[in-house]
Amino acid sequence: MLRVAIPERANWKRKAEEFGFKFHTMHGEAYWDESAYYQFSLEQIEQDLEAPTEDIHKMCLAVVDKVVNSEELLEKFQIPQHFWQQISDSWKNQDPSLYSRLDFAYHGKGPAKLYENNADTPTSLYESGFWQWLWLEEQVNAGKIAKQADQFNSLQEKLVHRLAAIAKHYDISQMHFACCQDTDEDRGTVQYLQDCAKESGLSDDFVFIEDIGLAECGSFSDLQDNKIETLFKLYPWEFMQREEFGQSIKNAQVNWLEPIWKSILSNKALMPMLWKMFPNHPNLLAAYFEDELSKATETKLVKKPIFSREGANISVIENGKTVLHADGPYGEEGFIYQAYYPLPQFGNNHTLIGSWLVNDQAAGISLREDSSPITQDMSRYLPHIIL
Amino acid sequence: MQSNKTKRSKSINLVSMRKSFSVKPLALGIAAIFLTACGDDQDAAVFTSVDDCTNANPEFAAKCKTAYEDAVKEAERTGPKYNSQSDCETEFGNNQCRVVQRDSGSFFMPLMAGYMLSNLMSPRGYYSQPMFTSHSRNSSYRNRWIGADGHDFGDNRRRTMKVSEKSLKPKPTVTKTMSRGGFGSSVRAKSSWGSSSKKGGWGG
Repeated sequence: MLRVAIPERANWKRKAEEFGFKFHTMHGEAYWDESAYYQFSLEQIEQDLEAPTEDIHKMCLAVVDKVVNSEELLEKFQIPQHFWQQISDSWKNQDPSLYSRLDFAYHGKGPAKLYENNADTPTSLYESGFWQWLWLEEQVNAGKIAKQADQFNSLQEKLVHRLAAIAKHYDISQMHFACCQDTDEDRGTVQYLQDCAKESGLSDDFVFIEDIGLAECGSFSDLQDNKIETLFKLYPWEFMQREEFGQSIKNAQVNWLEPIWKSILSNKALMPMLWKMFPNHPNLLAAYFEDELSKATETKLVKKPIFSREGANISVIENGKTVLHADGPYGEEGFIYQAYYPLPQFGNNHTLIGSWLVNDQAAGISLREDSSPITQDMSRYLPHIIL
Repeated sequence: MQSNKTKRSKSINLVSMRKSFSVKPLALGIAAIFLTACGDDQDAAVFTSVDDCTNANPEFAAKCKTAYEDAVKEAERTGPKYNSQSDCETEFGNNQCRVVQRDSGSFFMPLMAGYMLSNLMSPRGYYSQPMFTSHSRNSSYRNRWIGADGHDFGDNRRRTMKVSEKSLKPKPTVTKTMSRGGFGSSVRAKSSWGSSSKKGGWGG
């Protein structure tokens, strides 16, 4: 695993315009950064990232299977009681899932350590599936990168196939897609999935989360008053379950993407559960619920809210004292604790690897760099190659 | 999953990934407003001419003709309109556009490539709408059936399809949505919290 400097493509910003990649620069700071790339060996990719990604996914599903059957655990996962039955039904029906992203700390050797599972609303999908693919294509064509260079990135191909399989499962030919207003990044992510859906033969409609309506017959509707039959929502289940229309979810009879059973995976309580069920697994970090903190033998721990995004409200605790803290609006549902394990550093950059799954297949990686050991929403995205 | 084959998507259709119309139309046609349908998809067929329709449905020759005439009128009313011939041809291909004169001036529209018909046999009446397609290499509409509002109905080699009721209902007057805004309040609450989420995205 190397960080290699390379000249940027001269025309990449114009290309980004042409392809509708609007969020390469956010708030005046670079988000997409092609002044360098990461280089992996095929062995590193296949043995240290691809195989563990699929293994961990299986372990996560074992956790879901246990939690849906236990009221005590559903409570620990802070899932409102109103949704227990729906989650259990959705799991027993095997409602199909689309994608997830596992975040790893990996130093180029030894086991990659799982930080968390973004199983409900992962972003940086467009940058990973399409934009870094195009970067490699063009840098190879320009002779800047060796011809035999590859990339761990079959995301787009797999998403297209998976969407077709989901359409077949539900016997549908159209899907709705939704995200919140006023965010180019989320809109871009959802537009990318709409493009993949089109490629798989589906027709697609878009509605903002805030614009979703509740119709007389109990269905949800878009702004044109079309019934929402199938909805990909880039909006967390834990929010939806606590909002006004949450009570109407059951009767609306929507085919949800992600399915509601993913409430259990996109939840930091997953981490202590994994550690309980698969103790000392090489790809896991020790993790504890708040009420079992006395069991922790580690002197340095990371405290994470049960629900949080983009590194918000995470603190690093050493011998009981907070040594590093990221602010944010989360934490009212409680916290979990995870053994401290640092990200690798390349110069001043702390580098996090996102490892993608489409359904249960490992489908590629993405790399984020942050100047802080806690990767937050202003971290930069860098492409990678396999050589 | 260890293997030595390539680990990235074999190919990506770059044309279909382009976002901007190379040139934006003056008007994108009128997106029809539809009822909340609690019902099912309907069978529809696309015909490229009155004869095409009549050959497939000899007993409905008269309907084939009126449906075609309706679609032509609808095409002129709702189809995409461009300022110049070259703008239109960039999107739809060479010689695929015609000039239309109106009191307000002249503009260019793509030729109607076919019309979609459904419920031809229904006593309640059939429904038709104009279909466009593009011959331009640079267009994401190339070889697709496209409705007046830009809706993509799929590959233009396909002549029959299931379409949702909403793409068939032209101008309903009633809405049955009772309320909106029941999702999204957490975002407003968390956004007002302050500076941490500078981007305001809610993915992760």
